[in-house]
Amino acid sequence: MIRISVLLRAVRHLGWFALPLALPAADLPTLWAERVKSVVAVEYVTETEVDRRPSTATGTVIDANGTIILPTGAIDPRTAMWQLKDFKVYLPGEAVGSKGEYLGQDAFTGWHFVRADAALRGKLTPITAFAPKDAGREPALAELVWGIGLRAKDEDFVPYIMQSHMALIQSLPQRTGIAQQDVAAPGLPVFDRDGAFVGIALASFGQSFLQFSRNNRGNPVLLVNVEESSAFTLAPEILPNLGRIPKNVSGRPLAWLGAYGLEPMDRDVAKFLNLSAQSGAVVSEVLEGSPAEKAGLQNRDIVLALDGKPLPQLKPDRVIVGFIEREIERRAPGDAVKLTVLRGSERVELKAVLGEEPKLIREAERKYFERIGVASREFVYGDAIERRVKALESAGAIVHYVKPSSPAAIAGLRLEDWIKEIDGTEVKTFAAAVARLGEIEKDTVRPEFVMLVSRGGETAVLRVKLK
Amino acid sequence: MKLISVRSIFALGLLFSLSNALILPVQAAMSKGFNRLMDAVVRIDVREIAFEAGARRYTASIGSGVIMSADGIVLTNAHVASRRAIELNVTLANLERVSAKLVGWDHWTDLAVLRIDMEEVARRGFKFSHAEFGDSTKLFAGQQVYAVGTPHGLTRTVTRGIVSNPNRYFEDTRGIGGYETGTFNTWLQTDAAINPGNSGGPLVTDDGKVIGISSRGYLGANNLGFAIPSATARAVLERLVRDGVVERSYVGIVPGALQDLENFYALESNRGLLINSVDPGSPAAKAGLRGGDIVLAIDGAKVDGRFPEQLPPIQNLIAGKPVGARLSLTVKRAAETRDYAVMTEKLESRVGEEWAFEKWGLSVRKVSRAFARENQLDDTSGVVVIGVQPGFPGDVAGVTRGDVILKINQQPIASLEVLKTAHAAYEAKPSPTLLETMRNRRVSLYILKP
Repeated sequence: MIRISVLLRAVRHLGWFALPLALPAADLPTLWAERVKSVVAVEYVTETEVDRRPSTATGTVIDANGTIILPTGAIDPRTAMWQLKDFKVYLPGEAVGSKGEYLGQDAFTGWHFVRADAALRGKLTPITAFAPKDAGREPALAELVWGIGLRAKDEDFVPYIMQSHMALIQSLPQRTGIAQQDVAAPGLPVFDRDGAFVGIALASFGQSFLQFSRNNRGNPVLLVNVEESSAFTLAPEILPNLGRIPKNVSGRPLAWLGAYGLEPMDRDVAKFLNLSAQSGAVVSEVLEGSPAEKAGLQNRDIVLALDGKPLPQLKPDRVIVGFIEREIERRAPGDAVKLTVLRGSERVELKAVLGEEPKLIREAERKYFERIGVASREFVYGDAIERRVKALESAGAIVHYVKPSSPAAIAGLRLEDWIKEIDGTEVKTFAAAVARLGEIEKDTVRPEFVMLVSRGGETAVLRVKLK
Repeated sequence: MKLISVRSIFALGLLFSLSNALILPVQAAMSKGFNRLMDAVVRIDVREIAFEAGARRYTASIGSGVIMSADGIVLTNAHVASRRAIELNVTLANLERVSAKLVGWDHWTDLAVLRIDMEEVARRGFKFSHAEFGDSTKLFAGQQVYAVGTPHGLTRTVTRGIVSNPNRYFEDTRGIGGYETGTFNTWLQTDAAINPGNSGGPLVTDDGKVIGISSRGYLGANNLGFAIPSATARAVLERLVRDGVVERSYVGIVPGALQDLENFYALESNRGLLINSVDPGSPAAKAGLRGGDIVLAIDGAKVDGRFPEQLPPIQNLIAGKPVGARLSLTVKRAAETRDYAVMTEKLESRVGEEWAFEKWGLSVRKVSRAFARENQLDDTSGVVVIGVQPGFPGDVAGVTRGDVILKINQQPIASLEVLKTAHAAYEAKPSPTLLETMRNRRVSLYILKP
């Protein structure tokens, strides 16, 4: 990201030489009026144990059913499905929203899908109406591009125009256009001078600046514009994937390989290993019980090719990790993938049959105990990975939330503590933890209870005083 | 403007008291023992090596010490004189400087022992006296004490205060330049002013008997100073002079104060030590002990760990057992009480040996057993990067502080020697060198390029 931003900064200086608009002035308002119908603002509420937090995001309409895609960052990935409430869809410039339905996230594109209320659908135009004739077209360097931004809720999401010129196209690994200036709000479309759809804006890249103050000369800071972005995924990466509407709110099925901690191999390493024209990624760990393990993948293997195709050389090096992950996410559980890996000095061919991703933290069951002041959640596969314990032998409950100044907080309970024992009795399942804590919660005469928790490989005995 | 006037008043006050001293000799009020002590207090100038920045660097610091024997044994703090010291100079009471050598250090109790170069002392015809230990177990809160040392380089400074608490508990897992301290002893707390540079100087009673070694103070607090009690210092001094090290036993129990948990565990009062945690892979873990267990007795001797202050003596009891000894721990778990046999191991610090590989611009620390356990590494192979010099091959390749280097040119790093050999080869003939590192369980490959 940083390297890209440095590059971008250099490009931005060039931006000052931008050519004046060649577009006839009369065209643009017409194009604008039609295309602004394919954007909306979406508001939703994240409900936690103790509060409700509203958030807004901007999205693009993709079909006649009022389906809207929101960018990956529109929803915090740690949020559980049941916490997402009260979706509302706003037309640009309108103060009143109508009901929306959350459909889930697609792992491959990262998009969140929301469906607008039937009453609203007539007022929306899907972005596909503006698809270019040549579906594979990428805008040329210095070509004019323009896009849409929406003001905040207190300004009724009033739409406004941004325009710029193409500065650069990169494979990150998706084909990504970078304009000279901010060109659209994240999640909103970008068009060419004829009004053809050329892409959807990503979250803005960080920009490096130096901050000067009375006491500090030139502190480097990274600034990220959350409202507008100059980077966008190009249309050929988007149009073929608009059908990936999740079948359910969890986004499942999710393909799983189980090669943990893929780390890029830089050019010097490749050269050292006599792999000069080749890219690769080191597998830090092969996860227990995973398809990768069954396929015979080993820790420290270097992935060189997928299905016989050598990994492309992408810049920065890090991008190769995203490339491999997308190649997995593109597939479905049950699909096979052939891996060519370097093990020591030997090339090994493996075939993995992808499995279904184990239950994620955001899918884990949760339960809040108001009087004790703790919310606990089910121990899932990811917790075992995090704690370096055997996934198949581990279960129980993890502390998900501790209410400030509650008995649990005063006793020293912390987020992510793994509850091992309650009152000297081992907690073997999440259900057992819920049952025990539930009894304690209800028992108003009980003065205290004792928990044994595990954190960072150590344990701690905590005494929770209820009175 | 205000600041300046305050300072001038302060300076005036100082002048005033000095002129007073000329008229009224305060010396007459001090005991013979105290004067003798003053002749035994020294300033210690240390030059030490630091590996932190990806290079070998030298730093200088000043501390205090006290001569404890006629043959020139000086007691000071481990954080004043450590194994990193390459040059030690001692300033005697006559303000003359002589050289000294490190005899041994013990970061667990923050104590170190030096020996003055007696040949030099004899050659130059110097004389000094030596101090005596008092009994720190007999101290009471409110008792008058004096700290003598070199605060901020001000040689031979005496400050006065009282014992604020004779039995203060505090443990610091990284207190002595990253090393652990305070596990096996409690501390004397005093309000006698202790400033940086006082470290290693004696805390004494009216008669000049050493009842503590000034060690640390709270920064930003008023007169909260701490000293290692003489009961601990005396024992550690003997061991360091005899063996050069203090060997201790380790079983891997992390105790917690039982405080008000007796009822929950159905214990008779003043009995039992709560095991808060058991180090993974440690002797206690192998013996089957776990967090929440209560130790009732060690080798048949009852233990009482109700309050935090009571924990260091119990830890010290275990540490004092011979390495490899079989301890019998009587342990209560829920309703059941039974004995567990635990074989002790040698206690090791988390901090392993350090070194700097200057051609690569990397300083490293060997992965120790404790570090490996704490970070859930498979074994003790590898080194932790503790410093990277900007612009050098390590930095250019992308190695960062905190990375654990596991292999070099595909060879596992079982000891520092492996890296030293590779570095020597690189120095003789620089060529691309492959590193395998791990950070948060993620494995990366880097090339050190000439």
